[in-house]
Amino acid sequence: MATNFHFTKEPPPESMFSDVQALNKFQDEQFSQLVNIVIAFLIEPNKSARLLSQLDEFAEQHGVGASPLKNVIKSLLTVPNSALKKHLTAEQLKEDLIQLGLSDEKGNYFANQWQANMGALSKSALGQTLMVNQLVDMEWKFGVTAASSEVNKVGNTFLQLKLVINKGNKTENQYMELTLPQFYSFLHEMEKAKASLEYLS
Amino acid sequence: MKEVNFETLLLLLKAPSKEAVVRLCNEAFLTRNGIVKPDTIKEAANGLQVEQQEAKQLISSLQGLVKNALFHGSTEPAVIVKLFPNDFHKNLRDLLGKILIENIPNWKNIAVNNMVSLPRLTDFDWRVDIKTASDSMARMNVPTCILQLKVQEAKTNIAERPNENNVNVELSKETLETMLDGLGKIRDQLSSVAK
Repeated sequence: MATNFHFTKEPPPESMFSDVQALNKFQDEQFSQLVNIVIAFLIEPNKSARLLSQLDEFAEQHGVGASPLKNVIKSLLTVPNSALKKHLTAEQLKEDLIQLGLSDEKGNYFANQWQANMGALSKSALGQTLMVNQLVDMEWKFGVTAASSEVNKVGNTFLQLKLVINKGNKTENQYMELTLPQFYSFLHEMEKAKASLEYLS
Repeated sequence: MKEVNFETLLLLLKAPSKEAVVRLCNEAFLTRNGIVKPDTIKEAANGLQVEQQEAKQLISSLQGLVKNALFHGSTEPAVIVKLFPNDFHKNLRDLLGKILIENIPNWKNIAVNNMVSLPRLTDFDWRVDIKTASDSMARMNVPTCILQLKVQEAKTNIAERPNENNVNVELSKETLETMLDGLGKIRDQLSSVAK
């Protein structure tokens, strides 16, 4: 069949049509509950355990089989997931859902919810973007050196930093000591970096 | 504190010039925590027309004297004089005292900057990138900052240059803002303390 879906170039599998059409059987209230669950998961995609437990709860409450429900949701998720990737508009998303067999009313509802949460959704998608050696945390202390084995009276200000860096499989701590002039030039440079980040965003 | 053998310091009386003594004092300062190179001893022995063994002892005594003077850190002639025994050769004491007073501020600076410390930041660089696409989004426009810190670890071998590690971190705009917030707090506290 001809494919004029926005979210994919390939024709979607048959199972997807039947899964999406299965959603029509839900009452409006039940459907809106499901949409909320799906959108909450799209905003925080790392919380899959929460999604599963919410679906189990939903299945129990409304007397539906938990595993068929999960399959249906899985199919449903593919649409908004690729919609996020491809920057589809709410209108395009609605067209796709209706073309998959969702009723006009439910498609409309989903698209509205989608539009309403667009900010959080795209922010979360951006947040998932790969970061190499991400800075996780910084701790600091400063003080004055009073004396050393070589010099009886010193009186130098020092600053110690601890950076916690996410190396992918582990976090790593990096310690360093800065002198006062170094600290000021570091601060100045970071302010410059921030200004250019702000200029670009 | 190193015992100073003032007897051997008298060898300095054979020095051809004041500059030669200054050079020896500086040499003693630079090698105060390390090993004196054989070339330096040879040169000193030739300059003073003494045995190499004697030159070695002389440099070792000078190291002791320099370290003592540095530790007290005073540039008051009255304090410097007390570093020498009372019956020490007067002219030599005045000459050494003068050299010490001239050089202590500089030496102190060097000593403080090379003090024992945690890993030390030596340099840093940054760059700002714009992410334009990723596996989760086909098109985007997100600036990000990469920061490279050069950190000098503690020396493991006194004869070698210490290891320098490069630490690279990526900062999103939010992380950078949080970090600047922290740095700003430090600056505020510093300016209220270090006046």
